[in-house]
Amino acid sequence: MNQHNTSSAISVRGLWKVFGENPENIVGSTDASLPKAELLAKTGNTAAVRDISFDVAPGEVFVVMGLSGSGKSTLVRCLTRLIEPTAGSVLLNGEDILTASPTRLRELRKSAFSMVFQHFGLLPHRSVIDNIAYSLEINGMKKAERHKKAESVIELVGLQGYSQAYPEQLSGGMQQRVGLARALAVDPQVMFLDEPFSALDPLIRRDMQSEVIRLHKEVGKTMVFITHDLSEAMKLGDRIAIMRDGAIVQMGTPEELVAKPADSYVADFMRDISKSHVLTLKYLARPAGAGEDTSGLELPAETIILEASKVILESRRPVKVIENGKLLGIVSDQDILRLLAEETV
Amino acid sequence: MTVLLNNSFINRVWKIKSRYLILIIIGIWTPLALIFKGMANLELPTYQNTFATSAAGDAAASIRGNRTKSTAFIYFFNPIRAFINGFVELIRMLIATPAPNSIIPVLGWLGVIGVVAFIVFATSNLRTMLLAVSLLIGCGFLGMWTFTMDTIAMTLAAVILSLSIGIPLGVFAGLSDRVLKILTPFLDLAQILPTLVYLAPLALFFLIGAASATIATMVYSIPLSIRITAHAIRNLNQSPIEASTSMGATTRQTLTKVQLPMGKKMIVLGINQTVMAALSFVVIAALIAAPGLGKPIVNALTIRNVGNGFVAGLAVVFVAIMLDRSTSAAAKTKISFVPPTAQEIKRRRISLAIMGIITVLSVWLSRNVLWAAIWPKKLDVSNPISRFTNDANDWVVDNVRIITVTLKDFISNYLLNSIETLLAGSPWFITVAMIYVIALILGGRHVAILSLGLLLVIIACGLWYETMVTLTQTLVATLLTMIIGVILGVWIGRSERADKILRPFLDAGQTLPAFVYLVPMLGLFGPTRFTAIVTGIVYSIPVVVKIVGEGIRNVSSTMIEAATSAGSTAWQIITKVQIPAAKKSLLLATNQGLIFVLAVVVIGGFVGSGGLGYLVIVGSSKPELQGKGLIAGFSILLLGVMIDRIANASARKYGN
Ligand SMILES: Nc1ncnc2c1ncn2[C@@H]1O[C@H](COP(=O)(O)OP(=O)(O)O)[C@@H](O)[C@H]1O
Ligand SMILES: [Mg+2]
Repeated sequence: MNQHNTSSAISVRGLWKVFGENPENIVGSTDASLPKAELLAKTGNTAAVRDISFDVAPGEVFVVMGLSGSGKSTLVRCLTRLIEPTAGSVLLNGEDILTASPTRLRELRKSAFSMVFQHFGLLPHRSVIDNIAYSLEINGMKKAERHKKAESVIELVGLQGYSQAYPEQLSGGMQQRVGLARALAVDPQVMFLDEPFSALDPLIRRDMQSEVIRLHKEVGKTMVFITHDLSEAMKLGDRIAIMRDGAIVQMGTPEELVAKPADSYVADFMRDISKSHVLTLKYLARPAGAGEDTSGLELPAETIILEASKVILESRRPVKVIENGKLLGIVSDQDILRLLAEETV
Repeated sequence: MTVLLNNSFINRVWKIKSRYLILIIIGIWTPLALIFKGMANLELPTYQNTFATSAAGDAAASIRGNRTKSTAFIYFFNPIRAFINGFVELIRMLIATPAPNSIIPVLGWLGVIGVVAFIVFATSNLRTMLLAVSLLIGCGFLGMWTFTMDTIAMTLAAVILSLSIGIPLGVFAGLSDRVLKILTPFLDLAQILPTLVYLAPLALFFLIGAASATIATMVYSIPLSIRITAHAIRNLNQSPIEASTSMGATTRQTLTKVQLPMGKKMIVLGINQTVMAALSFVVIAALIAAPGLGKPIVNALTIRNVGNGFVAGLAVVFVAIMLDRSTSAAAKTKISFVPPTAQEIKRRRISLAIMGIITVLSVWLSRNVLWAAIWPKKLDVSNPISRFTNDANDWVVDNVRIITVTLKDFISNYLLNSIETLLAGSPWFITVAMIYVIALILGGRHVAILSLGLLLVIIACGLWYETMVTLTQTLVATLLTMIIGVILGVWIGRSERADKILRPFLDAGQTLPAFVYLVPMLGLFGPTRFTAIVTGIVYSIPVVVKIVGEGIRNVSSTMIEAATSAGSTAWQIITKVQIPAAKKSLLLATNQGLIFVLAVVVIGGFVGSGGLGYLVIVGSSKPELQGKGLIAGFSILLLGVMIDRIANASARKYGN
């Protein structure tokens, strides 16, 4: 785990962020493992990120989940040095970010990665198109060229007709579409999204989640997605890291987390959710048994079980679960009932 | 005594109840004051100098003597003075004083009105423009046209210079914690320094007249504009700024493309406060021969002619309303970044063009036709107004004598005299010891030691007695301000309707220069310390009421609901829930009230309040007392710092 994996899009080793005076004294000391309030009382420091290591493969959606105050925002800002980490190393496509010069860092921010914020962070005095073109403008791109580029991204996120509107004229969901478009405009290799939908209504949030799934399919960016919402994590993440008090307590696929919670903290999380609400058909899909009917309906693997249950229960035959055009397995009405029964105890 | 110095003992006793402790101290102090009354209270005749005041007088004389010789003057003070003087005279020539080779300014009265109308129309709206034009015409009818123009020119010059220094510094202070930290002590000091204190020292270095009045005004308004600009930059929504950084923008790009455009409206709103501060200072700067409306007010106060003072004061009120309305129209609309549509732009261009034509016409007339150049004598109604005011004042004074005299005597005999006996009548060492202990109780050891040091410096300067007289008036006026302020504050905090009724008065009251209030109070109460106190109360009530009202309004409604459902009466809710919960605001209001009152009470030296203010004022007109005036100003500063530090420390200690 100490060697960087240079083929990863992102490779993080031993990352620390300690707020307060003399932060380097805390890193790796016994104080670091004290509970937050005790550490604060004793030294005046907050260890917001503690010894974190992980890898994100190219094209992967990596979700970081945790309660508010667990250090998610600090972690994601350390990866792009919006917050200067106290210790550790971060490689982005094999390049060490933490030793990059200010100029190199700005270059990387302009082209290699981009960020979407919880509170959108749109520039209120600029129209939608000029918001989206802002990073291109910073890059020194000519106006006509950057507007052309911005227009194409506007289409990608479904904002046609709004290019001359101002942020204050848009709903929250629309504003975050602008945020997404702005992050996509520079064609980055990695996107960081810090709770992008937490400020939105639940209904809009669902739309936007589907939008991210669609965009990810279309543009195939590597994404680090921060959320405090388990169902969002389950829906979007190829892998999920669960954070608590600045450290990662478990990391794995959604199915692994539900099936084998590492400790009672994670188990508590998982108990509170109904699997049928968060897990997708991928979780239930199994190879067809002998004599089972495989001529049923086809459903995408990322369909939430609850949403699929009506169809499956009404259908006479088990449904086929399809992922990327390939058959993943089947799900029968018995599988659904078993899961629902489990949840009600 | 040594026991009382012990902090932990104080803390323990405090738990019993601080107000009993203070009552006990006053209980000890009163008999001592009565026994030793008039002994060792360091009272000196006005004309007697002390070591410090004669040293200051000599220093002032040598500075005056060096004006043409010393390098500091030749290379520093004189060039600054020349530059500012040139700038002010340039603006005055436009509207107030005769232009070169002419008997009228570049713009006659009609031209000025046309230009003001155009500017106000372009920056706000038609209604504000009509208001501004009527107010200017009003100043003409009051026979105050030229004085008004001088005041506006002086204010304009000071504001332009202040903003060109204050805004850049404010931006720095907004961006850098280091810069803010360096500037903060100066900004704080500027806030507690009473206006009267600036004048004499500046006049010493820059002579009296327009230049030093402008410099004094700048010293007063630059800190304000730094503070507002830094506040505007610091309180921006941080997420667009972070987003900009995350996209690789440099600090400079983020500043010019994000922070300044977002903060622009807030910074422009800050101009309003800078203008109002500059105006009130320009009026007071008449004391160092600043041209403008302050001059007739000072004259009227000196010869106690309420009518003349009223006419000039009314013109100041008009100018204040005009400047306030025309620079704050933007504040009334919600901040929106959406630009106008093409159609709106077109309509606006047309109306601007029409206004432009009218303006050009009025300018042309004012430069070519006499009636449009110089305000016609026939349209000057100042004499009847002045006479009428004097008559009305006499009538009021005669007929409400019962009320005014009773009020005055009651407060003078009971409150003022008894507190003055304690502070100024006791031997100095007793008063110093008592203030030390009270500071210890209210603010803790640091503040107590600081107060002790400041008081000893004042004693060494030789103005102890006058300082205690001023302190007495400040405390009494603040006490009365707080009583009235809390009542009104609770009222507007609890009732939307009360807020609607009172708010316009509070807003108007806050924009008027303190000087203006002296005139009617002088009419009502004559030249006494009571006049100074009432003026101080009237001047500081708006800010106190606003802070208290805000505090009361912010008390959580759940708390009030809980109390209501427990069957509390309205009175119980006010006294047991709202006022205790708004304690922090009350303490803040007291602090502000003290500072505002002090600033006015010393100006009251003009109308017979005695104390340090009187010394500053006689010092500025009588050469043999100049040293005493300078030291009196210095003592006001020390007193202000002491009051502010004690109030601040006790707010910190008991505010939570
Ligand atoms: N600038 C800062 N200074 C001090 N403490 C901070 C700072 N930023 C965040 N923290 C602390 O670090 C912890 C993690 O915060 P954050 O990363 O914002 O959590 P999350 O995004 O998971 O809600 C919190 O306890 C927070 O109070
Ligand atoms: Mg966060």
